[in-house]
Amino acid sequence: MINLQRVSYVRLGTRDIEGAIRFATDVLGLEVAEVSKGAIYFKSDEREHTLCYFEGDPHDQAVAFEVGSRAALSAAASELERLGHPVHAGTPSEAEARKVREFIAFNDPTGNRIELVWRPAYSGARYHGTRDAGITEFSHVGLCTTDAARDEAFWTQVCNARVSDRVGDAPLLRINEVHHSIAMFPTDRSGIQHINHQVESADDVMRSFRFLKERQVRIVFGPGRHPSSSAKFLYFEGPDGMVFEYSSGVKMIADELLYRERQLTFDPAGFCEWGAKPDVPEFRS
Amino acid sequence: MIEIEQLRYVRLGTRNLPAAVDFAQRILGLQLIERNDEQATFRSDFRDHTLVYEVGDPMQQSVGLEVRTQATLDRAIAALAATGITATAAHAQALARRKARAMASFRDHSGNTFELVVRPQTSGWRYFPSRDAGVTGFAAVALRTTANEADETLWTTLFNGQVSDWVGDAAFIRFDDAHHRLALHPSSRAGVLAIEYAVEGMNQIMQAMYFLQSAQVKIVHGPGRRPTSDQMFLTFAGPDDMLFSYVAEGVRIADDGAHRPRQFARKHLSFCAWGSESTIPEFAVSEDSD
Repeated sequence: MINLQRVSYVRLGTRDIEGAIRFATDVLGLEVAEVSKGAIYFKSDEREHTLCYFEGDPHDQAVAFEVGSRAALSAAASELERLGHPVHAGTPSEAEARKVREFIAFNDPTGNRIELVWRPAYSGARYHGTRDAGITEFSHVGLCTTDAARDEAFWTQVCNARVSDRVGDAPLLRINEVHHSIAMFPTDRSGIQHINHQVESADDVMRSFRFLKERQVRIVFGPGRHPSSSAKFLYFEGPDGMVFEYSSGVKMIADELLYRERQLTFDPAGFCEWGAKPDVPEFRS
Repeated sequence: MIEIEQLRYVRLGTRNLPAAVDFAQRILGLQLIERNDEQATFRSDFRDHTLVYEVGDPMQQSVGLEVRTQATLDRAIAALAATGITATAAHAQALARRKARAMASFRDHSGNTFELVVRPQTSGWRYFPSRDAGVTGFAAVALRTTANEADETLWTTLFNGQVSDWVGDAAFIRFDDAHHRLALHPSSRAGVLAIEYAVEGMNQIMQAMYFLQSAQVKIVHGPGRRPTSDQMFLTFAGPDDMLFSYVAEGVRIADDGAHRPRQFARKHLSFCAWGSESTIPEFAVSEDSD
């Protein structure tokens, strides 16, 4: 069993790094943590970085999860190899580029690039965004799946994820007390489907709604409220068609024994209890 | 000092009673209590009714406020007379229509009509609305004023009103622990600007936004949050250009002594902290320096 502790960061290739910087700072409200040759690191919480844009193919994407120890990392590597997932052991320079001590990388059954990292860097300087978006942390990713049942089995049986709710066949998976750190959405491709940052309050969601509208950022879903996690949300489009989400008030599941996952309908009502209709391909029935 | 006990109702004239009834039930989501050829009354809470549409001129509008006893009403009539305002006692038919024991009506300095009522009826039956808008009660009335200082003074000296905050010269006046029950907005004319109903919470405000959009009701302001009262709000247009708002949350002012009225600049952000703007003249602002 691979024990994932927390979602750590996302790496995204882009052909337009200047555009990505403008979006991440002026629109999303992240803080530039470091600029290096061909890559830029953004900070959203107490960690050294949670988002990295690098010069490259926009299809080149990876999401990282923290594991607890070096032993856990090597056990994970052998388990993945045994199951037929080729494992790449990160080189020291690759680890440095990720601000982690050690890491391995592999593809999940859909082909999403996953990195398992040990000792990702935290930073002493507190996060101070370039605009007052109220971001509190990088919180979860949506991942594409070409076979939801197969991938749910991978994340829940090979890894320690638990199903918190299902929207149609899409499982919302938790690896700690947060309702979901991974959400899997059935589609015909691999890749990161959306990137979520938590904000302080519903006021922040609504202020950003006006802010983004004024700047003609394409809003693809919301403002709304998920019946699953009870979070108030807003989804909008960033560079290379990537969907970003602000949300506030995600449910915490403290008592594993008392919690029972629920089945929600794969339609607008299953995604939003306020009545918003998604313009996100993976959310449309 | 005349004690206003609480807001009771708004009466609105309309040339098209069936359309007004349809709006109040199907869109606003209130409960129809009585309907005849002359008027229709609607309930929103423990009060027998808080909204009345009566056949007549849409300019004919009045706001009902409760005073406790006949003696208080008599004192109010005398006090108003002393400031040159004539209050007229109601006849039996008007009282029956209002389900009150006594009443006197008067106009403020702008010409807005108020009715002071004694022992208006409370309903023993639970409020059961026609749609699940989550309305919890009649909350406030926003009025246009052409004499904001004089009107404000009327409520704060003759009556027990207190200014909670100002946005520019618009005054938010409270009579109990709610931030305001009357809001006076400087305007070129008199009249009721908006009738406000409290709903349970943010879910209801936002559900209403999508509901009103799909019903093609014109949303004129919000969803937003007022920096003054801290209420979330959504304002939309009803029949005869009357505005209605759903409001939720908001501060309570329990300790009068501890609250000092605050002056907010006349800016969009003083009406809405979320950044929503409005084309309603009373909320329109000729500034671009946000």
